Amino acid sequence: MVPDQATPRGPDVTPDVTALRAAAADAGLAVLSSASWPETSADTDVPALAAFIESSFSPLLAEVATRALRRRPDGAAAAAATAIVIVTAFGDTASAAHVAATVDAGRRVSPLLFFQSVPNAVAGHLAARWNLTGPVACVSGIRAGLGIAALFLADADADEALIVHVDLPAGGGLGAGAALLATQRTGTIPDPHEPPPGGSDEDPRY
Amino acid sequence: MRDSRARRGAGQVVVTGSAAASGYGPGTAALASGVLSGRPAFRPVQRFDVATRRVGIAATMPGNPDLRTELTRATGEACDDAGLSAAARARTPLFLAVHGGPEAFAAAVARDLGLAEQGLRCYMSACVAASGAIGDAAAMIARSLADRVIVAGGYLVERDQFALFDAGRVLADDGQVRPFSAGRRGLLLGDGVGAVVIESAAAARARCAPPTARIAGWGRSGDAYHPCQPRPDGLGLARAITAALQRAGAAPGDLGYVNAHGSGTRVSDSAEASALRLALGDAARFVPVSSTKSLHGQALEASGVLELIVTLLALRKGMLPVNAGYLGPDSECGLRLVLGEPLAAPAQLAMSLNCAFGGSNTALIVGLP
Repeated sequence: MVPDQATPRGPDVTPDVTALRAAAADAGLAVLSSASWPETSADTDVPALAAFIESSFSPLLAEVATRALRRRPDGAAAAAATAIVIVTAFGDTASAAHVAATVDAGRRVSPLLFFQSVPNAVAGHLAARWNLTGPVACVSGIRAGLGIAALFLADADADEALIVHVDLPAGGGLGAGAALLATQRTGTIPDPHEPPPGGSDEDPRY
Repeated sequence: MRDSRARRGAGQVVVTGSAAASGYGPGTAALASGVLSGRPAFRPVQRFDVATRRVGIAATMPGNPDLRTELTRATGEACDDAGLSAAARARTPLFLAVHGGPEAFAAAVARDLGLAEQGLRCYMSACVAASGAIGDAAAMIARSLADRVIVAGGYLVERDQFALFDAGRVLADDGQVRPFSAGRRGLLLGDGVGAVVIESAAAARARCAPPTARIAGWGRSGDAYHPCQPRPDGLGLARAITAALQRAGAAPGDLGYVNAHGSGTRVSDSAEASALRLALGDAARFVPVSSTKSLHGQALEASGVLELIVTLLALRKGMLPVNAGYLGPDSECGLRLVLGEPLAAPAQLAMSLNCAFGGSNTALIVGLP
């Protein structure tokens, strides 16, 4: 099994699996496995994802999600339904910029860009590949994403929830984090009106 | 199916205010009269150049309205409709469904209206963004994690998404959306802005605000089938419908109307009809169904809230909108469609369905208070 730990990265990278794990714990959720990008010096080029073009957003999301799913503990009963919650502040900005430039120039847009125009598409790819039949959501902010995941779990809409945090930084390296979550026996659902314990002043999304 | 014992809902989540704008113009009155006229709002696009597109039709309001302005207006009108005081607004978070919307955009709308800073969310889950947000808001209120949430969504037809949908060859090149019909040729986009104030019945009662409807049930599911195609047998959507019925404590035959996702595309409509037959059983033969996208178009991220408002208007008026553009039966889409003219029906409970890329499905069941 691949070691389940994050490698420190530069300050220009926003998504951070360490923060994701900590926020999940604060939300009373058990982290079954997690992953990030980059994890080692070998993580330089994001593996291509068939039929997704022009942007690293979906390939990066698929890569960290797949890592987290592969690290699901051996012997754990298969989840009957796993939800997918994508967290992104800005979405696939690279695809959006490419489409805008293409339309500006009066050129035809590739039909492939239509299929990847929303973050749900790569979620559908993951769901089909891993038979994840829970709900799919895409929302801004880790705290909102964890709140949604916690409610899916508490309300029996899903047994596990895969949360993936991806953003394409304007001026730095790529970063992404993913965690497979389940309800802790003693877990509680986070109250959206109360700030999380500690650290909320630094980044209100957490 | 999932364990129904853990599901909560039924009765304690109400709607106290709503507002909308659409291709029929600003306001819920224009939306209601437009939809119940049976005349689609589609017209040639004049907002941007469509000369090089396969299709140049959409359901647009006149001119080139600004999304933030329209969202702020509709959300403010929904707050007014609900009679929310400034103090109540300051304690109420906004869940905003928009395409690729940075949180700063949502924060600006919330700030302009004096809404809470804590709890703000942006939903970007494509065509289930707003319906998912409504389900989440209802689930939070049902579990006493929130007293009140405002859910708003907005999409105004613009050139980039239009170019993408045109390139994807999913726009109806005959200028009509014909859900569940033989000869259907695709979808058409439409302007849609909507906002609803959702709160606990106790919170509404405490401030003497009369509910206009209740959110009786909600269900969400994934197809686990394909990045952008629906599961043909409808099993994923059927699970969402069943979950919503369980939460509502309702039987399929209790539904008096279904406002279907009904995009008007070949594969999506047949999959949805399969889902309805699977989840509703024999009741699928007599529950009236229409897709109001055949009238106001596909409002993408805003669809869920716009169509919920249409569904509520239909319940309140006792008139079910037509499934416009119908040419004839498709053997794969056997449903009891509302055809020809609106159907006078005293429905007490109705369901609004939405599906999106990624195989994401939502079912919302609403009832009169």
